[in-house]
This record gives sequence, C-alpha cells and structure tokens, in this order.
Amino acid sequence: MKEIAAFIAEYAGCLLGSGVHTSRVIRNSKRIGESFGVTVQMTAFHKSIVLTVHDTQGADVYTEVVDIPVLPISFEYNSELSSLSWEAYDKRLPLAILWEKYNQIKAKPKMPSSLILLLTGLANASFCRLFNGDWISVGIVFLATLTGFFIRQQMQRRGINHFIVFTVSAFFASMCASATLLFDSTAEIAIATSVLYLIPGVPLINGVIDIIEGHTLTGCSRLIQAFLLIICIAVGLSFPMLLFKNSLL
Amino acid sequence: MILRDILVDGSLAAVAGIGFGAISYPPRRAFKYIAILAAVGHVTRFCMMNYLHLDIATASFFASLAIGILAMWFGKLSYCPVTVLYIPALLPMIPGMYAYRTIFDLVMFMQHLHESTFAEHYMQEMFSNAIVTVSTVFLLAVGATILIFIFPKRAYSMTRRKE
Repeated sequence: MKEIAAFIAEYAGCLLGSGVHTSRVIRNSKRIGESFGVTVQMTAFHKSIVLTVHDTQGADVYTEVVDIPVLPISFEYNSELSSLSWEAYDKRLPLAILWEKYNQIKAKPKMPSSLILLLTGLANASFCRLFNGDWISVGIVFLATLTGFFIRQQMQRRGINHFIVFTVSAFFASMCASATLLFDSTAEIAIATSVLYLIPGVPLINGVIDIIEGHTLTGCSRLIQAFLLIICIAVGLSFPMLLFKNSLL
Repeated sequence: MILRDILVDGSLAAVAGIGFGAISYPPRRAFKYIAILAAVGHVTRFCMMNYLHLDIATASFFASLAIGILAMWFGKLSYCPVTVLYIPALLPMIPGMYAYRTIFDLVMFMQHLHESTFAEHYMQEMFSNAIVTVSTVFLLAVGATILIFIFPKRAYSMTRRKE
C-alpha cells in the first residue's frame, strides 16, 4: 500500500508540475489506484498535493503529502503519462513495471533547445505578418524573438526567478524590435508581436478549465500566476515605450 | 484573391501554432495536428471578421469552437489529450495588438496625468482595449473547452490504446 501511494504521489506531482489541469491529474491517479484495487482520494493545491489511498474495505489507509516540483511545461509528459494510466488500468501492470515505464518516459530526450529557438522565432515572425506587419518588421521580429528567447533559455537554465526572466527577456525582445523605428515600417506591430512568445498560454487556459470544472482554488492560483507573468511582460515592454513614445504616436 | 488571403492566413497561423507549441514540448506526433488546428481556427476567425463582419470576441469564440470539435477527432487519431492539441492552436489567436495598446495607453496615461483631456482619452482607450483583450482570451478558452463538457467520456479516454 505504501509503495502504491508513493508511486501515485510522484506521478501526480510530476503531472501537476508540468502543467496539466487538475481534473485530469485526479482522474489519472484514481485510474492507477483502481488498477491495484485501491481507492485514491486527493486534494490538489498550487504547491502541494494531499492524497489518501485505502483498500476497498477501508481497513488499511495510507496518506501522503507531496510538494509539486517546478518543472517546465511539457505536453509530452501530459500525453505519455495519461497513456500510462490507461495502460496500467487495461493491463493491470505490476508496480515495478509501472516505475520502469514512468522512468523511461521521464528519461526521454527532449527537443533540442536550438530547434525550439528557431521555431519560436519563425512563429513570432509569422505572427507579425498575421497582424499586417511589413517584411522589414517580420525580419526584425524574427531576430528580436531569437534574442529574447535565447536570453530566456539561458536565464532559466541558471534557475533565475521566473518573474525576472520574463521581465528581462521582454525588455530585450522589445528593445530589439524597436530597431524598426529606424526604418519606415510598421514599428508598432513589430514591438507588439516581439514579446508574444512569452504569453503564458498554458496556465491561462488551464486556469479557465480548472475554474469551470469546479477546482476554483487551483484555477484561480494558476490565473494569478499567469497574470503576474503578464504584468512582468508589460513592465519589460514599457521601457522601450517610454524611451520611444514620441516616435510611436 | 479571397482564396489566396485565406491560404496565406492559414499557413502563417500554422507556423505560429507549431512554434508556440514547441515551447511546451509536445510529443512529436502532435505537431501536424497542431498545425492543422491552428490554421483552421485562424482562418475561421479571419473569414468571420472580414466577410461576415463579426467582432473579434465572437469570431474567436466560434473559431475556438471549431478547434475544439476537430481536436476531439484528432485526439483519437494521435492518442493525445485534447488540451495538448488545442492549447498551442489557440495561441496564434491571442489578441496581441489589443494587449499591446492596453499597455501603451497605460504608459501614456501616466505621462499625461495632469492634462485632463489627454488623460481621459488614454484612460478610455486603455479600458476599451483591455475589455477586448480579456473577453477575447476568455472566450477562446471557453469555446474550445465546451466540447470537453459535452463529450466527457470521449475526451477523457483519448490516450487509451485499444489493442
């Protein structure tokens, strides 16, 4: 029983840490519990989970409280670990194999960060075009995003506070994008789109999903976190605005 | 001409969807579905705004509804949870210009605090831009999520692999 609880605690912590909405985590964990013939009850908060495992007669009860680790958002964990919970349920996998598969999923190599950098740059550049920016703006936004995102990656690797990372990276991206002011081009659109890669879309949408599904507390804390990050972006963005406000009018 | 506009809009949105998705490490098999969803969503909104003259919030709602419906089908094909597919696809529809104008108006409001006509103008602008931004983002999130509530059973068993 203790081992089952330990696995589910680790599993649920990893899922919540990598940006999965609450009801899915709870459903997946209960499903794994069911595959061992035990009932799992859990409460999720923003930074910790409380979970109780008991057998069907209720004679044996085991409780765990775990901290939710801070992980980068990973859709890969979301889908693979959800898959694992169904596999456990359908095939009644023993605990040892479950651990092995779990560690395999966690050890999978991630996409190289240089490729992500390039894709993000292209994404932001095409975003600029979608907002009717001209080609000079598109080029400069591409470079600005590369700079900003590279700074973000480097700072995150060093474990610097999230809010500082967002502010600094928004500042550099929008500063680079202000180079459009030198040309006769759509500077406003360029500056506006240069920071959009920072928008915390996952917590925003997860927050709304959580609130609608009744996990109001976790939903609100996700939204508050997302809003704080957006404020950080706004602060970083307001510096070039103050500097160049006359040319932007 | 219209067709060309639509194709350009769709392919730009697809690139944007893939790039914004890549930040959150999706499984590789999800990329093509994310691209299609992002393109379909943005084209839907583009057509509604330009040819049906709907406002941005309503058009976004219907576009994200379309994304939600398609994601239900694609999720089953790719064994990915629907949120994995539709969150990156929604990101290209975030109303970036309105968000930017909100902040710009806030900065300008602060600069003209003591000149009441300017201050009033910027405050009014700031609020209208903020309202558009917030309601569009909210409707985007709700539109795609509604489908999960209509088909909970289907949405919750996407990752189950039937032998």
